[in-house]
Amino acid sequence: MTAAADGTTGRYLVLLEDDWSDATGELNRVAGIRAVDTGQEGASPGLWEGDGLVMGQLGVALVTADEDQVTALARAADEPGPISLIEPERFVRAIEPTAPATDVEAPTVDETLFTWGLQATGAPNSKATGKGVRVAVLDTGFDLKHPDFAGRTVVSSSFVQGEEVQDGNGHGTHCIGTSCGPRELEDGPAYGIAYEAEIYAGKVLSNEGSGADGGILSGIDWAITNGCAVVSMSLGAAASPGQAYSRTYQRVATRAIQKGTLIIAAAGNESDRRAGRVNPVGHPANCPSIMAVSAIDAARKMAWFSCGTVDTIGAVDVTGPGFDVHSSWPTPLRYKRISGTSMATPHVSGVAALIAQATGARGFELWARLSQTARRLSLPCTDVGAGLVQAP
Amino acid sequence: MAEEQVVISVADDQVDDMASVVEALRHAGLRVDEVLESVGVVTGTVEGDVLGSLSAVPGVAEVEQSREFQLPPPDSTVQ
Repeated sequence: MTAAADGTTGRYLVLLEDDWSDATGELNRVAGIRAVDTGQEGASPGLWEGDGLVMGQLGVALVTADEDQVTALARAADEPGPISLIEPERFVRAIEPTAPATDVEAPTVDETLFTWGLQATGAPNSKATGKGVRVAVLDTGFDLKHPDFAGRTVVSSSFVQGEEVQDGNGHGTHCIGTSCGPRELEDGPAYGIAYEAEIYAGKVLSNEGSGADGGILSGIDWAITNGCAVVSMSLGAAASPGQAYSRTYQRVATRAIQKGTLIIAAAGNESDRRAGRVNPVGHPANCPSIMAVSAIDAARKMAWFSCGTVDTIGAVDVTGPGFDVHSSWPTPLRYKRISGTSMATPHVSGVAALIAQATGARGFELWARLSQTARRLSLPCTDVGAGLVQAP
Repeated sequence: MAEEQVVISVADDQVDDMASVVEALRHAGLRVDEVLESVGVVTGTVEGDVLGSLSAVPGVAEVEQSREFQLPPPDSTVQ
């Protein structure tokens, strides 16, 4: 059976009137079609024998018919009798809210000179460098021996008991690479946004990637005390719909903003948009005064895992590149490509540092400028907030 | 009762004088880990049965049990 180019299969659906007790006889009488009725004794359901199949529970027959038979069936449909309507059968496929996103399907962007994330945020064209701006990245620490950061100002502190700042995980080094990494490299694309910013590496997650509120709040306190304009937090705990945000973090974020420190946090990766499931923004990004970041891919589509705005608590504020992101990784590997709202967040933090340098904006003014200059996307504001952040 | 890790935020009008609040929290049974002046937060541990009494301490705004965070393994493609 050949399929037509218009999405039809070459077979026909025959809709029967409510009384279709002798549908097989009628199809044979009208058009010479020998059909099997699934309601008949001995017939196995879905069995395709002869020229057609009468689906007894539905009052619908699926038939193979040539041109003359189609004409005969159409005529019968116009006349009184059990045949009500005939129409071509169509191919159908499962409806998916977004194309299944996997690493291999990532759109191709030329990353010879700059990662796609730098290109998407307009960082290569910006005159700002982040010079003089302090960016705190609260994460698993930093590979202090990474050759790409030789000569950079790095201030570090560990808030994990019994562990040095040295990153035994990799997550922190990747995030610092995106927000503050270099532009001049011997090998591979430039991957850092605020490439002259002062790096404040606060270790609040262990080498195993675990942490608790106490260490994270200590890291925020340290960042404020050190005059960091930006706190980047690629961390969170899943929240359920309707779950209240932490009033402690909200109060802390408000105080931070008053002191000129903007906290930017990952929305979370708990969604599976491939299956149509969107989970709410996690803790602490769901606090109103913490900027929550979702993730898009290089085709400006939602990353399948990205959390979204689900109810009145926990709005996504902006979005950033968070799929298939190339950045630094502890030696000897040096580089790695990974995905997550954890990767989108340091893009936003880096852009925040550029805006902070270029305009002098801090706190809520910095938030406003990030939102104001974000590129609007043809995606729901519940998923991307104001849009894709842009370098000044 | 088991020990609880807690984070306590100090009321706005007490942030500039946290010492007295910290002292009162100690008196109420809190074993203080950190006093975070810039954010106005005190962290520590407390016996579960006196957890509720901490929020009654003058100058305390909120008492929350500390949450845990866990990243996916480093070899995971989604982080």
